[in-house]
Amino acid sequence: MANFTALDWFWTGAFLMLMVGGAFFFYRLARRSESDFFLAGRGLPWWLPASSVFSTHTATDTPMWVTGVVYAHGLRGLWYTFFMAWTAIGSFVSARIFRRSLAYTQAEWQVLRFGGLGAELLRGWLAGWQVFMNMFILGWVGMAMGKVCEMAFGWPLWVGLVVPTVITAVYTLAAGYWGVVMGDFLQGIVAIFAIVVVSAAGIAAVGGPDAITARVIELGDAWRLDPLAFTGWFSGDFPAVWWLTMLVIAVIGGFGMGTSIDWYVEAQRIQSAKTVRDAAYGLWAGGAITLVRNAVWAVGILAFFVLAPNISSAAEYELGWFRLGFELLPMGLVGVFFGALLAIHLSTISSHLNLGALYFTRDIYQRYLNPQARERTLVWVGRAATVVLLLGSFFYGLMMEEITQWLIFALWLMMAGIWLPNILQVVWWRFNAWGYLSSWIANLGISWLVVWVLPAFGVLPKLPDYLQFWMLMALGAAIFLPATLLTKAEKMDQLVRFYMMTRPLGWWGPVRREAVRRGLIDEKSTDASASAGRPLIRRTWTAEQAGDWTREDWIVIVLSPLVFAFTLFGLTKLLLLQISGLWLVLAAIAGAAAIYWVIDPKLRAVSEEFETTQTKYLEELERSVRWDDESLGVEG
Amino acid sequence: MDRGLVTLIGMSIAYVASLLGMGVAWWAWRKRHRGPDEGDR
Repeated sequence: MANFTALDWFWTGAFLMLMVGGAFFFYRLARRSESDFFLAGRGLPWWLPASSVFSTHTATDTPMWVTGVVYAHGLRGLWYTFFMAWTAIGSFVSARIFRRSLAYTQAEWQVLRFGGLGAELLRGWLAGWQVFMNMFILGWVGMAMGKVCEMAFGWPLWVGLVVPTVITAVYTLAAGYWGVVMGDFLQGIVAIFAIVVVSAAGIAAVGGPDAITARVIELGDAWRLDPLAFTGWFSGDFPAVWWLTMLVIAVIGGFGMGTSIDWYVEAQRIQSAKTVRDAAYGLWAGGAITLVRNAVWAVGILAFFVLAPNISSAAEYELGWFRLGFELLPMGLVGVFFGALLAIHLSTISSHLNLGALYFTRDIYQRYLNPQARERTLVWVGRAATVVLLLGSFFYGLMMEEITQWLIFALWLMMAGIWLPNILQVVWWRFNAWGYLSSWIANLGISWLVVWVLPAFGVLPKLPDYLQFWMLMALGAAIFLPATLLTKAEKMDQLVRFYMMTRPLGWWGPVRREAVRRGLIDEKSTDASASAGRPLIRRTWTAEQAGDWTREDWIVIVLSPLVFAFTLFGLTKLLLLQISGLWLVLAAIAGAAAIYWVIDPKLRAVSEEFETTQTKYLEELERSVRWDDESLGVEG
Repeated sequence: MDRGLVTLIGMSIAYVASLLGMGVAWWAWRKRHRGPDEGDR
């Protein structure tokens, strides 16, 4: 139990007032329109979405999860946290394409990418899925806070679940996404401060970074300091093939949309950025800060391992970082630490409350129940949906107390069968709504069979995680590929309009040729046709040239994941005073500078060009959500 | 509780929500695209 003094309560209260008051301040902006309530009017500079990406993904259960994998696996466990690397490529590919689509949500994206009944069914499907998912995430994160409060103060679980969430709901209801993103900025600063202070306290308690390394070696666990300490190619609890699978899922996933559960939250941040360039930098910087956070955490957790090396219960060692904070910090700072825990919690809760309400308001209520709703009505529906999500999250939180870990696993597994379709929807023109919908529906049955039914009847052995992933992916492809090829391609009008709006990467040849034939693209002025006198790295772009995917994009696509990996492991090693860490960090800084030098002129050109057409597209989008788009000739 | 069974429960609840959303979309589509003659009946 934490020893709280009056000074600690003062600091906790002060932080709470700062965070809630700061967010509430934006009440007047949020009530102006649906766009303000859910996207902050699409006007945010890159650093606000960046801080929001970091804050939202620093949830109450995140320290438990990171502590769990690092305590159990040492530094190789950090690869589990490298899932955030989907933003490395995603920032420069899927974020750019999605921002240009102007879709409020991933559900709305479906009716821009696909057409006809199939697209509408997909929109409804994804909207229902996301309303549930956000309620579900709110429940499990809320229950994590309940457990922390129980450990620190002996409070009943429901107190930690309900009270902080209700406080968050007050400013989320009033100030919408404006409150979320401004609160996230303040909460992010508080959170990173606490993470650094607690890790420093842990390192100091052991006797410094050198002492951590020496003690780990003394314990006979030197492998814990090696990020590539595999247990074999295929055997053990950390085989190399599992590591490769995780890398593929995370890094290659950046070409698609929805390849990570996080995508749906980030999609809102991408769309709230004021330009394509701000969206790309916001997502990239948010991902990078998250990896820096993981490095600082990892060293603190190694310190905890040295202090308490023989804990066998996962439920016990997962609370290691919280124990460092509550047990090592002096009077007064414990209150700051608890204030930071509240910050971590509030930022995640507010994001998912607002996001779940967005899917209900935009994709269910406005599109299907009341297409002619006025802006004022939509803001109030958003608030009502927030309250319903809040109440639902309490129900789920209390119900999931025993099974949270399994459901997290289930959610991960559920993504395996649709990982590839999530990429194909972006990069392959022929992929259609029926193929995508079939992959979602089939995934339930396939996962059920492979994970539970067949092993239960002895038809299939219990498979390791990496095999489950590849098998689910292959079986899913055996269904969605025939479903795609046996049904018609999307109408060319729909595809050309989508292509011109978003300029996607990948296999879009027939659509591009049609756009050229219709005079929408002047091929003579594009980069491909002007390759003769082209510099190795082009730094001056016309709008037409910047619209194409060129070698500058591919250089960044290769460099960016390397920069992320060097950042994560370089900083971890540097904090342990290993010289190799310094070289990796310097390489990461040089790589980040190179990325900026190579891609910034192009992103500026893309942004300037798109801003000139954005108003027209936004008008079309609003007509579309009200079913007034038949005149545009995009109906299937 | 068995890991596979919990997977099944978790996924099924999520899919019920998705089916509901799809049902609403289907209903709205039908309402919108019902022919004028059919709509008048």
